[in-house]
Amino acid sequence: MSDYVIETWELTKQYNGQAGCKNITLQVPRGSVFGFLGQNGAGKSTFVRTMLGLLHPTNGKAVMLGQPIGSVESRKKVGYLPELFRYPDWLTGQQLLEHHAEVCGLTHRESKSVIKNVVELVGMAGRERERIRGFSKGMQQRIGIACALLADPELIFLDEPTSALDPIGRKEVRELIARLRDQGKTVFLNSHLLSEMESVCNYVGIIHRSELVVQGDWRKLSTVQPQIELTVDKDSAGFSNELPSFVTESRLVRQGENRDTWLMTLDQDNRVPALLQQLIASGAGVHEVVRKQHSLEEVFLYWVQKKEGERHVADHQNHV
Amino acid sequence: MWPIIKITYREMISKRIFTITLIMSLAFLLLFGLATGYAIKEMKESSFGNAGPDALLQKNFFSTQLLGMGLYFGSVITALLAILSSVGSIASEIESHQIDTWLARALPRYKYVLGKFFGLASMLGLYGLLMFFGLLAINQWVGGGALAVQVGGDQILKAAAFFVGMPIILVCVAMLLSSMTTTVTGGIILIILYGISFIGGFIEQLGVAFSNSSLTNIGIISSLVFPTDSLFRQMTISLFDTADDPLSFASQGIFGTTSPPSTTMLIYSILYGLVALGLSIRVFQKRDV
Repeated sequence: MSDYVIETWELTKQYNGQAGCKNITLQVPRGSVFGFLGQNGAGKSTFVRTMLGLLHPTNGKAVMLGQPIGSVESRKKVGYLPELFRYPDWLTGQQLLEHHAEVCGLTHRESKSVIKNVVELVGMAGRERERIRGFSKGMQQRIGIACALLADPELIFLDEPTSALDPIGRKEVRELIARLRDQGKTVFLNSHLLSEMESVCNYVGIIHRSELVVQGDWRKLSTVQPQIELTVDKDSAGFSNELPSFVTESRLVRQGENRDTWLMTLDQDNRVPALLQQLIASGAGVHEVVRKQHSLEEVFLYWVQKKEGERHVADHQNHV
Repeated sequence: MWPIIKITYREMISKRIFTITLIMSLAFLLLFGLATGYAIKEMKESSFGNAGPDALLQKNFFSTQLLGMGLYFGSVITALLAILSSVGSIASEIESHQIDTWLARALPRYKYVLGKFFGLASMLGLYGLLMFFGLLAINQWVGGGALAVQVGGDQILKAAAFFVGMPIILVCVAMLLSSMTTTVTGGIILIILYGISFIGGFIEQLGVAFSNSSLTNIGIISSLVFPTDSLFRQMTISLFDTADDPLSFASQGIFGTTSPPSTTMLIYSILYGLVALGLSIRVFQKRDV
């Protein structure tokens, strides 16, 4: 069994040569919560819809759960909550789930207990026999999540799963995703709500202008730019003029009555002891050193801005 | 495929168009029954009630005209229901993205198309049968001895099969249009095609009546473009032409058939539907949704 539930090689889906997703080479580890991050229109949903066979790729190839995408086998153990979740509003929640259970090949007896479980899981118990027509958007999203979980999927695509939910609903979905991860399922999460993804995702892929910028364990991605916050006496402020060359950037971030806090960017993660030795030797009064933990938003912005910078340089060179 | 057939049934029953059509169809049958009832009353009070050859001719003319007219409008209602209920069967689900969660399942697209087709075709076939037998029952029971067209069991079965064939061909073509274009565009195209067939059928009958080959050819071409009218003509032939009445052919009028479609045309109609259905599967397999 492969360690990856999704593997793509230069997967491309473009519309008349524009937009969509382009040359996406991606690996999603089994049992991970993989956050696919990108701005609106970056190509996140196009990628998911291509993986699910709703769109036909214009180039490249991909396998999902060991099967080539587009094949029926690749979707056997997959759940999907679309971004534009729309369900037949003349059905009740229960009827919708029954029809989906039937398509998934569940027997009547199996579907009864499975439906009961998933309805409870998404907090819709007692409301499932109402018509979808009368559901709020949040309830529709919840029944959509229930639908995605019906066939005990190994891989679940959730495209903006909390877009219509209130703060309590969002928390519940985060808890649900964590529970799915604990059960060994893989969750592919599409979202631009980075603060929400931060707490549940362990792997991310960042897509910008249709192209994949970077992928991997997001906490490791954040160490590409190791930073520390250093609190020193005000009267040792002159130290900033004599910093070693491995400090690539330093700036004052807070000014206190007697102490200032500086943010320093290092060229490598293991430079902290050397920096401290040098500061103490130079007589600086060091009070606090805190390793800066980057938020997912900062990681995302770092990589997107880096990509944009590269693009501008390339554009400039093309003009020259 | 069965879950898609089931959900198609549920959708048709749940949607207002089906309920309204059923109510309007009952109203139509009621009106037809009333007309037949008044006609029989009028006949009994007039010279039509006499047993002479003129009266027999007029009685026969009247009975086939009335039933032919009923069947024609019955077929139009069935056709409109077929168009309105099936032309958006795939397209509207793509437009609303309701199809996404179905196709993201381990469900081959051809099964989705065939599930929709069998669901719609069987419902409309059943509706067509109810309409056909409803009209015939009114003719036989309300019309009594004077207005009832004399038909045998095998004639009825053959005619019913042709009557039901029309909406099924329409559903086949609607599936094709629905899998390749939007609901509105598909609806417009299908109504125009049905109109061509509808008008072409009349033109062909007039062409034969006036021995005008141009008119006849226009009718034949329109039947090739869309063959539903030829099925209606085949239905009237099955029901009236071989009825136990030597004068029936002459007395069918505009809703009857003076130019019977050939067996080749019948085979063409069946192939037309099958090709349309096959193409709809092929087009839908390749389509991005």
